This record gives sequence, C-alpha cells and structure tokens, in this order.
Amino acid sequence: MGEVLARFDAVTMQFGDLVAVDKASLEIRSGEVLAVLGENGAGKSTLMKLLYGVFPPTDGTIVVEGCPDGISGPAEALRQGIGMVFQHFSQLPALSVRDNLLLAWPKTPFWKSRRNRATGDVLSKLRDMAPAIDPDTPVHDLSVGEQQIVELVKVLNIQARIVILDEPTSVLTPAETDRLHGFICQLAADGVAVVLITHKLRDVEACADRIAVMRRGAIVDVSYRGERSMQEIVTLMMGKTVDRKLPSPQPATNPVDRLVLQYVSAQAAGMRLRDISLAVGRGEVVGVAGVAGNGQTLLAEVVAGIQPVTYGEVLLDGERIGRRRPGETLSTPLGYIPEQPRENATVEQLSLADNLALRDLAEGNRTDGSTSDLLCRFNVNPPVPDKRAGTLSGGNLQKLVSARELGTPRPAILACYPTMGLDLAAIELVYEHMFAQAAAGAAVLWISEDLDDLLAAAHRIAVIREGAIVALETNDGTLTRDRIGALMAGMASVSEAA
Amino acid sequence: MTADFVALLATWCIATLRSATPLIFATLGETLTQRVGVINLGIEGEMLTGACVGFTVGVATGNPWLGLLAGALAGGALSLLHAGLVLGAGANQIGSGLAVWMIALGGTSFFGRALVGKQVTPLADLGSPLTDGIPFIGTVMAQATMAVPLAILATCFAAWWLAQTRPGLKWKAVGESARIAGENGIRATRVRVTAIVVGGLLAGFGGAVLSVDYTQTWAQEMTKGRGLVAVGLVIVARWKPALVLPVCLLFGLAEVSVLRIQSAGYAFSPHLLGTFPYLVVLVVLVSSHVFARRASAMPADLKAVFA
Repeated sequence: MGEVLARFDAVTMQFGDLVAVDKASLEIRSGEVLAVLGENGAGKSTLMKLLYGVFPPTDGTIVVEGCPDGISGPAEALRQGIGMVFQHFSQLPALSVRDNLLLAWPKTPFWKSRRNRATGDVLSKLRDMAPAIDPDTPVHDLSVGEQQIVELVKVLNIQARIVILDEPTSVLTPAETDRLHGFICQLAADGVAVVLITHKLRDVEACADRIAVMRRGAIVDVSYRGERSMQEIVTLMMGKTVDRKLPSPQPATNPVDRLVLQYVSAQAAGMRLRDISLAVGRGEVVGVAGVAGNGQTLLAEVVAGIQPVTYGEVLLDGERIGRRRPGETLSTPLGYIPEQPRENATVEQLSLADNLALRDLAEGNRTDGSTSDLLCRFNVNPPVPDKRAGTLSGGNLQKLVSARELGTPRPAILACYPTMGLDLAAIELVYEHMFAQAAAGAAVLWISEDLDDLLAAAHRIAVIREGAIVALETNDGTLTRDRIGALMAGMASVSEAA
Repeated sequence: MTADFVALLATWCIATLRSATPLIFATLGETLTQRVGVINLGIEGEMLTGACVGFTVGVATGNPWLGLLAGALAGGALSLLHAGLVLGAGANQIGSGLAVWMIALGGTSFFGRALVGKQVTPLADLGSPLTDGIPFIGTVMAQATMAVPLAILATCFAAWWLAQTRPGLKWKAVGESARIAGENGIRATRVRVTAIVVGGLLAGFGGAVLSVDYTQTWAQEMTKGRGLVAVGLVIVARWKPALVLPVCLLFGLAEVSVLRIQSAGYAFSPHLLGTFPYLVVLVVLVSSHVFARRASAMPADLKAVFA
C-alpha cells in the first residue's frame, strides 16, 4: 500500500439547491490507480475539482500531504504536484502546442526562446509519446486524441504526485484508449497516484487498483480490485434498478415515412456528419444512441434547420425543411427540444408566457390564453406566467421547453436528451407527452444517452459514431444494452447481430 | 534635383514620425490591454489626462521629461479606475471606458483653462555636429526628439515581450480565456490589472508627448479622438504589437499629407480632406480581412465583452 497523499473527510459541495457532492470521504494513495466510477452527473468531476482547488467545498475538509493549509486554487494545486486533465481540455486553441506546454510548466524560464535549452526540455515527453505532433502547430489544428496527449504531457511535465484524469477515454479511439491504459499503469508503477474518473467499466477493468463508486453525489462503495464482480459494481453504480414504467407507444400499423433524411452531410466546428440516411415513419419512435460528441448535436441542429446541410436533404412529408445556406430565414415545423435548453431554447429575460409564445411570434400567430393551463399540465414550478424564465431551475426550464414543443400537436418531434436534469416524475411526464405525439401520428426522433430508456420505448435504435449512422437496429426485444454499447464504442461489427 | 528630393523625403519622414509618435504609444497601450481580453475606451481620457498633467508639470518644473513621466503616471492612475470598475465591480467594459473618458474630458477642461497660452520647454532635438551635414539623416535628426526612438523601441519591446517571454505568454493566455488560464494556475485578474495599467501608462505618456513634445501647447480636447483612433488601429494591427508601428506610421503619413495639401493651397474642403486618414485605414482594414481570411487574430476573451 502506498502512503496516503490526500484525504477527503465528509466533503460536501452544494451549488444552490443542488448537492453535487454529499459527505464524501476518500483516500488517495501513491502508486495506485483509483477509479472513481459513476453515471453522468454523479458528482465524480466535482469531487476531484475540489481536490484541484477549482472551488472550495461547502463543508468538510480535504487534507493534502505536505500542505496543511489546504489547496487555495489550481495554482497552489500545481505547486503541490496535483495535476488534472479536464474532460474539456484546458488548452488555448489559438496558441501553439509549445506555448500551451510552457504555460503549464512552472519551470518555464523568463526568456522562452526556442533556442533556450530549458525550453526544449518541456517538449521531451511529447517527443517520447507522440513524435508526430509538431510543437509549432496551433492546438486547434490537432485532432481530439492529439489534444489529449498534449494535455497529458502538460500534467507529466509538472512531476505530479497526483494525476487526475477526467473521463479520459470518452473521446479516444480504441487504439488510443489501449495506449492510454498502458500509460496509466506505467504512471502508477512509477509511484504516482492516478485518479481515473470514468463511467466506463472497460477503463476500470483495464487498470484500476481500487474502485470508488459514486451515485448522486455520495460515495456508495470503495473496493479493491477483484473484491467485487463487475456485475456488483454496475448494480452499485446504477442504484437499485429503477423500475421505470415507460408508456411505450404502439408500433404504427401503417408505417408511412414522414421525417426523412437523405444522404445528409454537414459540417460544423469540430464535427461533421457523413452521409446520413434515416426515415422515421408516422407514429414511429426512432432513438439515436451514441457516445457524447459523436455528432448528435450537429445531427439535431441539421434536422431542426439551424445548421445548413452541405449535401443531401431533410424532408418532412416530402417538403424540404433543412437549411441550405446560413442566412436563410427558416422556421422549423418540428417540435424541437434542444440540449442545454437554457442557452438554446429560452430567452431568460422574457416571462414564461412570452417564452411559451416564442414560436407563435415567429409564425405570426396570435397567442391564446392557454398559458397557465400549459404550465400546469407540464408541472412547471412555479406556474406563474409573468415570472422571468431566467429564475427557473434547470429542471423546470426543461419542462417549460417541453410544454412549448410538446404541448400542441406537431407533425414530428426532435428531442435531444429531453430528460436531462429532470427528476423521475418529470421524466415520466415528458415521455408521456412525447409518446402521445407519436400515438397521434408524429414521427419522433429521440437522441438520448440513456440506453435503458431507449431500449424500453424506441421502435428502432440508430447508433451514431463519428458523425455517421453505423447501425439501425429494430428494437424487437432481442436487442440488448451490451449490443448497443458495443456498437457505440465501435467494438462490434454491424453484421454480428444478424 | 536629387538633393531636393532627398530633402523633401526627409521632411515628410520626420513629419510622419512626429505626428505618429503619440498615437504609437496609445495604440500600443490599447493593444496590450486588449491582448488580455479587456477593451478600454477610456484610453481617450487617459491620453487627455496625460496631456494635461504632463503639460502642467512640464510648465511648472521646466523639465519636459518630468512632464512626460507625470503624464504617464496620470494615465496609469486613471486606467486603475477602469480596472477597478471592470474587474472589481464587474461593470460593463464599454460603459466603464466611456465613464473614464467623460471624467477626464470634464476634469481636463476645468483644470486646463489655466494652461492655455502657457509655454513649455520642449525636448531637445537629436541633431548634433556629427549628423548635421549628412543629407536626409541630418534633417531627420535635427527635427526628431527622443520620443520618436522611444516609441519605436517600445513597440519592439512589447512584441518581444509577448512572443518570447513567460509573462508575455501568460498575458496572451489570459486574453484567449481567463478561465482556462486559471486552470493552468495563472492569476487572471492580476494579469488583467497589470495590463490595463501598463496600457494606461502608455496612453498617458502618449498624451504627454502630444502636448509637451509635438504641439507644445495645451488646448481643450486636444487629443481630438486620437484615443478612439488607437482603439480602431488595434484592430487594423490585428492585435500584434509589431504591426502597431507600420499601421500608426501609415495613419501619420495620411495626416501629414492632409496638412501638406492644405498648406499648398488647393481648393478642397478641409472637412472632407480630414477624413482621408480614416479612409486609408478603412481600406487597409478591409483588405487585411480579405487577405487574412483564416481565423481572426482577435483574443477570444474579447468577444465576451459583447456577450
């Protein structure tokens, strides 16, 4: 057993009403890979950001070996040899690889000319790991995998005692993932304490020595490698299986294609869609599954007519609804629930009533008096039409958007993570209305990362990876979570199921 | 014939340099401020205050160098107000900049009344028996003061500072993203305050150069929008200190040609003619955008000012 380098003692972190970390106690030891495992939003990243000093805990203490006064901020954390690789990289895209590395290196000399010997040292680890990366390239020209390598080199350069990796494999290809796993094991063998934040069992299997499982902000279990079966760990991670009754819609008896994507290609910052063809029939619910960042956002925005298509067509009942050029005025006939509705679907300065009427304003219709009724039907709290939308909590804002988009009959529904941030009752409510639209004949395209919900209610499930639909499976009861997961990760061939 | 041409070239050169010098200091200051992601419209006020305080101290002490120093300090002090409003109180950067400008406008108009008509000891010229007889160089040196080489050195130093030093790298990082810079262990607010104050010092110095060295008089609102021109020239120079020099010289050249055309007695509306320097800059701005189409050079955090 290595020595204890850091200890969390009943640490709690609250953001307003949200308890992100709930009385967590944990030790971090040298020469050990500690996996912090949990679903999205379980509080894993927040817990480790507390150690890195991004914000002070609301309650409890974090003791770092050799630093009795605690960590005051990331600068202090770096000096104490604590390095963190964020899920969203902390690199400056406009600066070169060299400058980004120099920035994070405490020993950067005052004069950082490239002829300076000391400046050359900062690149030595990069040359070992990825000789192909030119240090003078601006970071925005690198691939995501390459950016992560730069990020790792940054942390290695500070001679870290504790290295925290936040979901490091979520953006990597399988080969890059294997290389990273080997690398993590090597670090631990060199005596470094590695904290691996992940929701993937593969990462845990590959390199974890100790496994801490988090659920809803609390650490529910800590075990050594081999103490528990993977099955037990999964159960701990998910909690007791929620027996969610999804009002699965009846499959359409007469499937006429309504929402049709033909050979759709599109491009936006950092992502492209390649040749997507998909047809959603009348009354059909088609789910889209994929690892976050594989083109779901762009797909949604292309179907909603926000991003232009570079090739192909998006059709609704035979009419083109896709955007051809950026400046075009276009209002989508779809009911569209985008991700991050606070930024993407509401005007925070306007009242709830005005937010509900946004689409009518655009379409030139007069608003009717159904606002209060709509707020009550979707359980928006408080149901006060004059209240400003910005004052609502995230969950209620999501319900407000659902009320607008699902509250009136639509020819088709496009829902992007429609239940994110909602409690169980609200989730059921949103699903109920979404499937009611399908029952009334709407074509529903439903992007989600909750595989269980997709498997419970979608008629068909499309898997998106690297901007392409790699599989379209009929959900006939034989489709499993593992199968979808393997397709998402690119580990299964499409023909395997047949 | 050749000798005449060289003489003409020399007078134009030195006129351009002298006209551009105050602007170079101010534009350089604004460039550095914007490189850390802060826009400072108060630079107009800082120049004006620098001109007023610099002239006052220059007159009182009889030493132009003390005047320039006092002008720089006054500009720096005023920029601290902008820093306090923006970084301390979270005020809108545009609003705060305008407030600083207005305060300086009122203050200098009030305290400057006593200065009208006063004489200041100018800076010594650089002419010496060594250079006197030499064509071109002799003429230039005889009319140049230390302010000119200082301005050129300052831009070179700033370019080197940003590109080659560790603190300069930190400044660039903060301008791209204060949040990410913070994650890399940089104290973004401290860097921003420093850069705003450095910008203020340079703007104040530029203002003092204007009153003590260039015009050698005080007049109400004598900067005539040079500070705002500096804000515009920062964009033309694509936020690069190295480009500040040629851009300001171009503007200075256009100003000088306007003066020469007027004094040559051509019958042309002086008001229309006065727009010529801005027209030149506009053409440069548009063409530089057309040719450098790829990725804007704007520090990413500046965009947050308008969010």
